[in-house]
Amino acid sequence: MSSMSPRIAELIDALPVEPDEAVAPNAAFQGLLQELSHKQVPIGRLNRLWVLGTLQAKIAAAYFAWWLRGGYASADKRQRTLNETHLKAALKLLGGMSYLRGAIMKAGQIMATHPDVAPEQFADVLGHLHFEAPPMHFSLLREFVRSELGGDPEDVFDQFETRAFAAASLGQVHRARLKGTDQLVAIKVQYPNIGRTIRDDFRNLLALLTPMRLSGDWDNLKAQFEDIRHMLDLETDYEQEAENLRIARSAFTEDDGIVVPRVFPEVSTRRVLTMEYVGGLHLEKFLSTDPSQELRDQFGHKICVSVLRVQYSKKFVYADPQPGNYLFMPDGRLGFIDFGSCHFQSDEDIECLADAERAYLGSSPEAVRKTYVRGGDLTPKQAADDTRLKMYGQWADWAWEPVVHEGPFDFGDRDYFRRGASLYGELIRRRYMRSRPSNTWLIKCIYGLRAMLAHLKARVDLGAIFREENTVSHGQDA
Amino acid sequence: MRVTAEKKRETRRRIVEGARNLFNDKGFEQTTTRDIAEAAGIAAGTMFNYFPTKEALAMTIVDEALQEAGTEFEGRLRGDETLDEALFAHVAVGLRHLAPHRNYVGEVLETALSPFAREPVCEQAQEFRVSHLETVQELIASHGPPTIRTPSVMTMHLYWTLYLGVLSFWAADESPNREDTLVVLDESMRLFVGSLSPESENGREVTDVVDVTQNR
Repeated sequence: MSSMSPRIAELIDALPVEPDEAVAPNAAFQGLLQELSHKQVPIGRLNRLWVLGTLQAKIAAAYFAWWLRGGYASADKRQRTLNETHLKAALKLLGGMSYLRGAIMKAGQIMATHPDVAPEQFADVLGHLHFEAPPMHFSLLREFVRSELGGDPEDVFDQFETRAFAAASLGQVHRARLKGTDQLVAIKVQYPNIGRTIRDDFRNLLALLTPMRLSGDWDNLKAQFEDIRHMLDLETDYEQEAENLRIARSAFTEDDGIVVPRVFPEVSTRRVLTMEYVGGLHLEKFLSTDPSQELRDQFGHKICVSVLRVQYSKKFVYADPQPGNYLFMPDGRLGFIDFGSCHFQSDEDIECLADAERAYLGSSPEAVRKTYVRGGDLTPKQAADDTRLKMYGQWADWAWEPVVHEGPFDFGDRDYFRRGASLYGELIRRRYMRSRPSNTWLIKCIYGLRAMLAHLKARVDLGAIFREENTVSHGQDA
Repeated sequence: MRVTAEKKRETRRRIVEGARNLFNDKGFEQTTTRDIAEAAGIAAGTMFNYFPTKEALAMTIVDEALQEAGTEFEGRLRGDETLDEALFAHVAVGLRHLAPHRNYVGEVLETALSPFAREPVCEQAQEFRVSHLETVQELIASHGPPTIRTPSVMTMHLYWTLYLGVLSFWAADESPNREDTLVVLDESMRLFVGSLSPESENGREVTDVVDVTQNR
């Protein structure tokens, strides 16, 4: 099974065109410049940006191609050629998507949290991008903030730091003081135009892929694609994020040791979000301090509580438990700081998940099977496919393993995460990704949480936390 | 004598004010010099003592807005900007000051700054071009790479082309808060600065001194 997990080199080999060719739309620009100046013009800064982009674009495009090609492996030669043409066009578009910003960057980031799928060195480089995205210079930021808040940042805030202290995938974060107070704030500012760029890119990508008739599950695939687009779209709505922050903040007490920053709505808009500044280290820096196992376990515990608490008490799936969204505070508290990627569950989502939990923990094979059919939104033919259901079972066993484990589970065990990544790769390869769209969020949450804990090498009694926090299915059983 | 000068200033102010309102209400093309003279309370012929053409009058309005912008820009410079940031700020502040005139300024610039014009349309347009490019050259000297002493004629032509492109994009930009213009401007200035790198000169010493007063 582990051999099914794709390596970067294999993936890139599977590209229908050379990645450089696929992602070099600047060539036309270079030609234009050469014509204008009659001399060779290397586009210094653009080239550097593009090199950075190429790494992510290569990886994301390679995964994308590998994923899509599986869908037409059995097609005849003419159809395959046609599909290759569409795939090339789609990859070119993917490579050119906002040059690092938006979807391609998110894709790279998501892959960075899967240490098995992306080899260590790639994961490390991509991991940095959570915090080192190409910045907006201050003059651009000033014009944008001015149009959003009605004044220059230096006038709206006190001590506005012109240099960003963190980068968000869709923007960047600056530190300042709230006007006339001692309150330190973190101001997240979105790249201009990013929301519409994401929408346009997805629309174009879908238009290119539609003629490929990827598989019988195309409608379902489109629904999932739409869900990812929706996920990114939500991340561009800082008013929604402010509301998520407010709800999440109300879920924790001082005793939890989990800090969700307060929002200052009077200096926030849909694209500028002003929050209480929370000081602390991101995961990589925290690990470089060589923390004790005890400290790792304590933080691991808090990370699990953070995700399960909002899911069960506030009904939203926290889909983005990744290093950029947590801060390890010097006093042992955990900063839980980014709520751009959250999915509020419908009553049906909650009921479906609770059924699955009860069925799995009740060990009734028939009940479990029924939840696979419902959760996978399967057609009768698919529901009769034993191989598919067996794989769902293997995946569920993997996901539940830390929960049913007696006592603290060692998430630092690389083999555990590897098995999960391989299973995921195999599900994709077999095109068993049909599912209720809301599961996209849940799967992202499950992998993100386990990847965080794997990096942290934490030992956590997830079963005990689950029993404590889950007031829906477990609370009713108990 | 002193009274006459004051009266002249007052008449000039009334002409400019009247023209600004009329351009905003009716557009540049639809406004006649007669309309402007009427609004200023002067005879049509008198207006030409102050402004030889409608374009010259409009460019005076543009120039006044940009002079205010220039003062603000200088006050805002921190000194640690990269060249592309400084160029961005220079243009962005200008656009902000031109915003109250956006209804008609596109038409004015299209006529007055047309890259196809063989001769300057009016003195004011030529002065505007020279003054803008001089500031750009100063910024290149103060913020650019030390290897670039003086940009070539073609380089400045590239800048001017990009600048006009940004202006025309801005004049028609319908995006919220005209944020698309910010992106286009940022990309344009990065592209321009990229063209300034020493390699772009193929290792040759740059010796051609730019005379920004030349029209082409």
